[in-house]
Amino acid sequence: MSKPRIGIYGLTGCAGDQLNILNCEDELLKLFDIFEIKSFVMASSAADEESPLDVAFVEGSVSTEKDLEHLKEIRKKSRLLVAIGHCAVFGGVQSMFTGKKWEETYRAVYGKKDAVSLTRPLPPKPLSAYVKVDAVLPGCPIEKEPFLKLAGLLAKGVVPRHPDFPVCAECKWKENECLLLKGEICLGPLTNSGCGAICPSLNIPCIGCWGPIEKENWEAEAFLLKENGFSVEEVVKRFAIFGGEERAEKLKKFLEGKEG
Amino acid sequence: MRLFKIKKSNLFPFLRGLEGFGELWGPVRKGEKVVYARAKPEEFDLKALRTMIPAKKFLLPPKFTSLKFRESRWEDDYRPKRKVVFGLHPCGIHALNIYHRFYTRLYSDPYYERAKEATLIVGLSCVPDEYCFCYATGTSTVNEGFDLFLTDLGDRLLVWVGSPKGEESLKLVGKYLEDVEQKDISDYVAWRKRRDAAFKLKVDLDGMPEIVSFSYDSPVWEKMGKACLSCGTCTMVCPTCTCFDLEDEYDLKRDEMHRQRFWYSCVFREYSMVAGGHNFREARSERLKLWYTHKLVGFMSEYGAPACVGCSRCVVSCPVGINVVSVVRALRNERTAALWTKMEVSDA
Amino acid sequence: MHEILYQQDNPYMPERARIVRKYDLTRDVRFFQVRLCNPDKVFPVTSTYSPGQFMMISLPYVGEAPFSITSTPSRPGLFEFCIRKVGRLTSRLFELEENDFIWLRGPFGNGFPVESMIGKDLLFVAGGLGAAPLRSLLLYALDNRDLFGKLFYLHGARTPADMLFREEFFQLKQRKDFQCYLTVDQDPEGNWPFDKGVVTSLFKYVKVNPKNTAAVVCGPPVMYKYVVQEFIKLGIPDANIYMTLERKMKCGMGKCGQCVVGHKYVCVDGPVFTLWDVKNIKGLI
Repeated sequence: MSKPRIGIYGLTGCAGDQLNILNCEDELLKLFDIFEIKSFVMASSAADEESPLDVAFVEGSVSTEKDLEHLKEIRKKSRLLVAIGHCAVFGGVQSMFTGKKWEETYRAVYGKKDAVSLTRPLPPKPLSAYVKVDAVLPGCPIEKEPFLKLAGLLAKGVVPRHPDFPVCAECKWKENECLLLKGEICLGPLTNSGCGAICPSLNIPCIGCWGPIEKENWEAEAFLLKENGFSVEEVVKRFAIFGGEERAEKLKKFLEGKEG
Repeated sequence: MRLFKIKKSNLFPFLRGLEGFGELWGPVRKGEKVVYARAKPEEFDLKALRTMIPAKKFLLPPKFTSLKFRESRWEDDYRPKRKVVFGLHPCGIHALNIYHRFYTRLYSDPYYERAKEATLIVGLSCVPDEYCFCYATGTSTVNEGFDLFLTDLGDRLLVWVGSPKGEESLKLVGKYLEDVEQKDISDYVAWRKRRDAAFKLKVDLDGMPEIVSFSYDSPVWEKMGKACLSCGTCTMVCPTCTCFDLEDEYDLKRDEMHRQRFWYSCVFREYSMVAGGHNFREARSERLKLWYTHKLVGFMSEYGAPACVGCSRCVVSCPVGINVVSVVRALRNERTAALWTKMEVSDA
Repeated sequence: MHEILYQQDNPYMPERARIVRKYDLTRDVRFFQVRLCNPDKVFPVTSTYSPGQFMMISLPYVGEAPFSITSTPSRPGLFEFCIRKVGRLTSRLFELEENDFIWLRGPFGNGFPVESMIGKDLLFVAGGLGAAPLRSLLLYALDNRDLFGKLFYLHGARTPADMLFREEFFQLKQRKDFQCYLTVDQDPEGNWPFDKGVVTSLFKYVKVNPKNTAAVVCGPPVMYKYVVQEFIKLGIPDANIYMTLERKMKCGMGKCGQCVVGHKYVCVDGPVFTLWDVKNIKGLI
């Protein structure tokens, strides 16, 4: 069996996910061993962009027209496309809820006149807003162990499935004190597991960087936080970072509706 | 039952002696909570009532590799370490008995069996706090399921021997054992009376199987479902929750596939979801109903006792107050101040 | 020594089997015939089973899922499955070729109470993929024809192309000791020679002694209600109406809990239930 050909790409993001792949020091050779790496610009400028790929790993959100063109090219030549990192899976902090329309935010940052830009900006969106995504690995940034497991399964020809249950499960397995019970804004119940509950294990509340689980009960979480004495602003702010615009907006309405 | 006593001052040497069986684990403080941890006897919290995670973690850990697949062959190299687990209370031992019946019925679970064989259970008496309700579940005293059980009478501890394994382990600590006298028994009876009078939380489980069964369409479930975070905490901390899931993971470094077995929860969305996406319990309220039916009805009809041992772990763990006590009260139309009852059911 | 014992005693340990034959039954359902590589394996996998039981099919890196056995124990040595491509595991199965390996655990489940059906008329109603477990019992009854009374088999599919074992049933229809009626909801090519309409429309052909009949239904969840109404109309008692149910299962042995309904584990207390069970256990269907 020939080695699967892969490419690792970055759109708009901090490149932290690619960096974490490079940080798999001990296993990096193994990765080079099982895959034929056609393109990984962060590691080597010698990229082959012509040949088709078995798997493309893509980090970053689609935030410009150039991103979109690049993504479409990658999709066209790849059998499987895997979104890695929060930006690629959910849109990242750049798609956070600011309470304003995207155009207003954009103008506030880049000025009223059209800035000199090589490409036209777009409201930041996850890959799945534009192309078919075959598998995902959330996290901000992605973690080494989950990435290696995912890569291993892909090497065996299996499309990995991301389980859908909250951080709280892993948190309990580690016997951490519940930070919600301690009166903190912890997003564990709404956030997908896989990280191993790293933050709560260090007494830091979950901020939701693995993205929401399906059919999360944010109303109950919002209700609980309100009961615990947090203001609408505090709750919305925490939800907004990794929650995407739509969710935070609904949450704000929900909380304000209740208060009013 | 064979019965001895040891001096209180000999408790730590006694426990150290038992280390001849295996690693010594017991209740140790972690922040405001208590967890079973490997520690020296001096570090144990002898007053601790409920550890965050019950002793089920010794019999089937939260996550472990059940099978490996390497070079086209399946392998099972699961070998739990030998452990002495000290500090289980009667409720916890009752829970292990339920666990035992469950995991050995029909097809005996080999992972459970191996861990059971490798574990020496050393129970310890307790005095209830404001959350304990094991008197209501009939689990405040225990006659079987432990290897040794210690009853703390102040200056001395009674040592009950509950199994051949327990008897065998006493060879390691023979020098601390003393014979029991009449006074020890009368002191024990007096201690029992004091202990039984100390329960504060009143929960009425009488007729619960019928009440739960006939509340199948009660609006209470819907209300509960609105407030449930589906975090799974109740099932992780419950000493009689047994559900698990399996997931194949690949270990790149060793080039082996690991079939991981891990604690799972009936409140998770994917619990009853089959391939293709059909979900037999789409609504959170349906999943909660399953949990409570299973605890308060299911085991009743199978074993004649509820699968709740009154440890109150759910009571102190659920962020929105969905627990056996508040649910039983709500189903009985009794007053409850649980947080979930305050959440308004919106149309959102 | 211990090593060997552990390996043998572990009912979670899958047994290797070879795909002997495979072919497509419909657009998305494939037939697999497999043979255990070690036919002497006694526990947990045995070479005998009851109609209505299921096996866990295990593929390393992907996982396990339950599948009804569609073959009959009266033709031993082989296990047959009809598998619809719906998820990760089945997609992977569809990539396999003849002579490739899969792994099995089982057989699991209660199966049909074949012994209590002896001497009775049998009435089968299958819809869609529901034909898979029913075929096991049907072939068993045909192989032991003298043990049973009248035999009626009603089978409905969306279109002729969606009908499982179409050719097999065309042949079986020739048998004089067996009443087989097939129907399709739609006939886009217009060359379907038999009935058209829903499966319940076939009840007009059924002539059984209701007090001495075992009725069996398997199909998509929506079908049960209507078929059961017909059984009741015929006068068949609740305890003689059997249905086999689908649930998510990870162990097959009443442990993982994912198939639980009330206090019943579908994997060990089922998958075959009577109408009486269904009426008494809320949530079964």
